[in-house]
Amino acid sequence: MKENKNIEELFREKLQNYEQVPPAYILENILAASSVNSRKRKIIFWRVAGVAAALLLAFVAGWQFNAQNGQDVKQVTVTSHDTANKPGHENVSTSETSMLAASGNSNQNQNISRPEMSGRTNIKETEPNYLASNNNEVFKPIKSRSAVIQTGTESAVQLRTRKTNEVTSKTIDQQIMEQNQQMVMAQLSEKEKGRWLVGAQVSPVHNVSNGSQSKQYASNMLNSESDNPVDLGVGLTVEYKPGKRWSVQSGVYYSGMEQTSGNSTYQGSKSSLAADHGAEYLNTKVNVDAKTNKISMNSSVGVIEFSGVPSQVVIGNNIEGSSLASAVFVSDAQFTQSFEYVEIPLYVRYVVLDTRFDIEMLGGFSSNLLVSNQTYMQNSLGESLIGKTKDMETLNYSSTMGVGFKYELSKRFFLNLEPRVKYFLNSLNSNESVTYKPYSIGVFTGISYQF
Amino acid sequence: MEDFKPIISECIAGNQKAMAKLYHQFAPKMFGVCLRYAKDATEAEDNLQDGFIKVFANLKTFRNDGSLEGWIRRIIINVSLEKIRKQHLLFPVEDVSKYDSVNFSDDVIAKISADDLMKIIQELPPRYRLVFNLYVIEGLSHEEIAEEMSITKGTSKSNLSRAREILKKKVQENFGEIRAQNNYTA
Repeated sequence: MKENKNIEELFREKLQNYEQVPPAYILENILAASSVNSRKRKIIFWRVAGVAAALLLAFVAGWQFNAQNGQDVKQVTVTSHDTANKPGHENVSTSETSMLAASGNSNQNQNISRPEMSGRTNIKETEPNYLASNNNEVFKPIKSRSAVIQTGTESAVQLRTRKTNEVTSKTIDQQIMEQNQQMVMAQLSEKEKGRWLVGAQVSPVHNVSNGSQSKQYASNMLNSESDNPVDLGVGLTVEYKPGKRWSVQSGVYYSGMEQTSGNSTYQGSKSSLAADHGAEYLNTKVNVDAKTNKISMNSSVGVIEFSGVPSQVVIGNNIEGSSLASAVFVSDAQFTQSFEYVEIPLYVRYVVLDTRFDIEMLGGFSSNLLVSNQTYMQNSLGESLIGKTKDMETLNYSSTMGVGFKYELSKRFFLNLEPRVKYFLNSLNSNESVTYKPYSIGVFTGISYQF
Repeated sequence: MEDFKPIISECIAGNQKAMAKLYHQFAPKMFGVCLRYAKDATEAEDNLQDGFIKVFANLKTFRNDGSLEGWIRRIIINVSLEKIRKQHLLFPVEDVSKYDSVNFSDDVIAKISADDLMKIIQELPPRYRLVFNLYVIEGLSHEEIAEEMSITKGTSKSNLSRAREILKKKVQENFGEIRAQNNYTA
């Protein structure tokens, strides 16, 4: 009996379990591509780890290098002013730090140079053998040849013409492969083009005090406060991206930095001066120059030089002292040493995650030019400019490390968010008794434009 | 059911011998699937290659509680569908709810080889080929096909009926002797 079957059954029956052994080269391609994928994953891991390690190493090396030069006694609080009577000075010299750090900067900077872009090299190596290649970059265009032919582009028309006329002895496949190769080359050359980015950034900057002083200096010093005011940092950036991952950034930043110091409460036996002005008074010793009558006072950043005698302040002889040089400054005032720097950075950036939302690591060094140095006093009358900090270095060097988050607003505009830590490599003050190398922490936000 | 756990572990670890073994076990069947969805053997080879690269890259996500063959087959079909989506504009066609069903006698069927049918199916326009494969061979409903291809259920039905028409004509042209029967609704 003849069994009738409709078209669906016919195809289902014949094709459902249809098997055909594929050409052998497919397995070779699959295995090679799988090993490339696995290698790529490993390379990405090691690249990220390498960059992180390099940046960390540079940062720590700079820190350690400078730390070795400062053997001073760490000082946080003034213990008592009895030590004023000790003879001689025990200052430890630290001023050479700045120049050493400066020369160290350039060397370290060179060490964090860009490694070879292995991704690009891989693609190039596979070009001559693209049919058997395992690289997806090469496969994609080959596989989409139908689309290329159907789009009616100029190259597609060329292909059809060649096919019809049989002008050359090449097969259609060979021509398609050539077209694909050209497309890959075009994509590669497009990728190889360097890109420039310009941008503007703004950040709150928090300054964290860090320094040391000689014993003699510290015994007559204002109390530094750890809770410094938050300052403003603004800047213009220029970034050059020669490749997909690495970039070099420079620009101009302005940043403020402030150090506040407060009263040192008298702890010893009460003097008549203390009794007159209450329990809290500024008992820090001041020096009065016999010739110019200028008053100066030690702080953790350096010596504050007064331009005159501020109002509502009493300068009196220290009861324990016998000379004019042992005068004390009697007030409930607080001092703010304010500095402004113009920074020229040189950062290396590496893209860890390359999507619409990029994650980058950055590290590098900066030259910081001191452009403003002022000291203010706050008391019950308000804030007044009283002078400046002596011996401040005009040119300073710092290292920076941070993480950048970049969001692609459009093809050319990016929104940036960058938490950064900056550490000064040299002491900001050239006074031999003082080493002042603060940290600053900032979260820079801004917009950049790519062209 | 064969236990693929050890070979899967080896493949995840990057053992190429294990990968080759797994490939040889499933490649002929999967190549058959690719041939049905592709317009020619070259495209089928590309799809098979891409599909297996995906299989090995995602093998660690395979949970051993299901069929490995089914999992691989799903990946291969997805790769094939994706390829057609990328390469072709899939135009909707008119709804044909009724058409003449044609039955074939065993004599005719005996004359037709699977390779012949494969060639005929490959000549179908891309969308018809997809719908026919998904409905007739994979056993998906029109609802599932509509969801898979982002089309309406009606479009899926009309595509299927059109595919049947074309296939019928092709079989008739190539092998003759057909007999019309009652109407059939998709």
